[in-house]
Amino acid sequence: MSNTIHIQIDRADGSLQRLIGLVERRGFHIDGMNMADVPGSGGAFRHIALTVRGRDAGRCIDNLGRQIDRLFGVRRIGNDIIQSEAA
Amino acid sequence: MTAAAFKSSAEAAPRSGARLLVSTLERLGVEVVFGYPGGAIMPVYDALAGSKLKHILVRHEQGAAFAADAYARKSGKVGVCMATSGPGATNLITGIANAMMDSVPMVCITGNVAQGLMGTDAFQEIDILGVTLPIVKHSILVRSAADVPAAIEEAFHIAASGRPGPVLVDLPKDVQFATTSEDYGFHIPNETPRIDHDAIAAAEAAIRAAKKPLVYIGGGVKIGRATEALRAFVAATGIPQVSTLNALGTIPTDAPGMLGMLGMHGARAANHAVQDSDLLIVVGARFDDRATGKLAEFAPNARIVHFDIDASEVGKLRAANVAVVGELKDGVESLTARLAGGPALDIQSWSEDCVQAAAVGAYRYDAPGEGVYAPALLKEVSEAAGDDFVAACDVGQHQMWAAMHCRFSRPEAHITSGGLGAMGFGLPAGIGAKLADPSATVVTIAGDGGFMMNIQELATLKRYGIPLKIVLIDNSSLGLVRQWQELFFAENYSEIDLSDNPDFVKVAEAFGIEAFRIDRRDQVSDGIQRLLAADGPCLAHVVIDSRDNVWPLVPPGKSNAEMMEGS
Repeated sequence: MSNTIHIQIDRADGSLQRLIGLVERRGFHIDGMNMADVPGSGGAFRHIALTVRGRDAGRCIDNLGRQIDRLFGVRRIGNDIIQSEAA
Repeated sequence: MTAAAFKSSAEAAPRSGARLLVSTLERLGVEVVFGYPGGAIMPVYDALAGSKLKHILVRHEQGAAFAADAYARKSGKVGVCMATSGPGATNLITGIANAMMDSVPMVCITGNVAQGLMGTDAFQEIDILGVTLPIVKHSILVRSAADVPAAIEEAFHIAASGRPGPVLVDLPKDVQFATTSEDYGFHIPNETPRIDHDAIAAAEAAIRAAKKPLVYIGGGVKIGRATEALRAFVAATGIPQVSTLNALGTIPTDAPGMLGMLGMHGARAANHAVQDSDLLIVVGARFDDRATGKLAEFAPNARIVHFDIDASEVGKLRAANVAVVGELKDGVESLTARLAGGPALDIQSWSEDCVQAAAVGAYRYDAPGEGVYAPALLKEVSEAAGDDFVAACDVGQHQMWAAMHCRFSRPEAHITSGGLGAMGFGLPAGIGAKLADPSATVVTIAGDGGFMMNIQELATLKRYGIPLKIVLIDNSSLGLVRQWQELFFAENYSEIDLSDNPDFVKVAEAFGIEAFRIDRRDQVSDGIQRLLAADGPCLAHVVIDSRDNVWPLVPPGKSNAEMMEGS
């Protein structure tokens, strides 16, 4: 079971590293990643779709979402976590 | 940046990034900064001369970070430390991690090489922002002098708001030198979630349905300035309480209903009450493994009502039946008010059983022999210092004895490295706490292992004449490791012997600090009086038996119901 999380992120020093590091540190594999500038933001914001999978059964995707919410300059957008079929 | 910057003043005289840093710190009300200069932060040190800030020159950057951490814990303000690039910055890391683990508001300012040199392996260049990403609440690399004030204000806001934590601000040297006439102010709205009143109603219903409710108090109560609110809740409801290491003193040690610390070195009555409870009201705690023991067997019969300002703590380790996310003070006050509107809780017999169990299981201080019994000595120190007592603990057996046996009348009285468990914290933490509150009787409680890790800060004590009292409990070994080797590794004592320690009295005296030795039990009371009466800094070197263990103990990985007791 993998999940795709949609995130908007500021283009600040270390922001991408901060996001990816958090996801891996909290026990998730990153199976896919798509990134594009948010149209009209002049490159200030990027949209990222991260497809993630817990390393073990104890990893809770809802908790990962709340961990992402704690980051500054990073926010989940749209309908929170979008569930997809098994990868 | 989470909010738009706006121009707060008209064109001012050109100032350097370094001067803007210093003036912003002054404007934010910073009084004390702990640090150590070096090549890549020299413009800042140039600007510090003549400022209103009191800079405390430590003798190792780790000491600066620990002292700033304890300054923050004692004062409730943001602690500030600074260091140069490369080794200066990396020496801060353990202190940053310590502040992260215990949610301490701290701003760490590091110099870095000029932007044009970043990424070239320049002399003393380290990507400190990258290195510290997992152990900061946030970090900012400032790329122009005009951004310095906004970055510093943002760092202070983030460090102190919501669930506090350390924020790193990295200042390349060219940014420190560059001048600008612009001066930006900054305003960030507070975005703490509002208390959900349906959740409060659900919490009330859970409490009214419970026969054996128990309050599990965490360090978040102190951090959230909810101590009085929680004391009022406890007084109004009569629900018994247990405390984590970082929450000791939130309810005074000797208050009826305070069953003591839970967990690995918890009080027997506290751990048993948790296991028997049918409802845990968790306030600002995070189910740390040292508190819960084997998680699957922790409080097996209890429903959970979890109050926390950090939504990501709810359900992280134990599912909550009711979650109240927001300021703890607001949540607890709302709950108290709701409960006051209904009949009193019918928990009299449960409460009495808990209090009775605590009385039966009370620690004894009549250990045989003539050697110093550290638990009794630490209890006596705290009683002699009274309500002004503040313990700044290092990490190890003495830390557990202090937690179990000292009397704490308020949560700020107990400063300890809880989450990280960082040896070397005690001495610099004592310095930070004493500078934060000169009227307090601050006592560093250290072991011989941890004390040696930051012993150089004795020079800081001497330089500033800080009248810190030090109780150095010396068992000539790494005692907690020794205890585990005895109990869980078939007495295979591997690399724990420190019997070749220096003469600590002579060491202290060489730094110009009064010191004396306590070898026997009959010297303890006079020794404590001498220590506390000393005008300046003073060290009591207390020699104990290396075989003394911390009891009771829940073996690692076991349920809190399985407590071991020593002979």
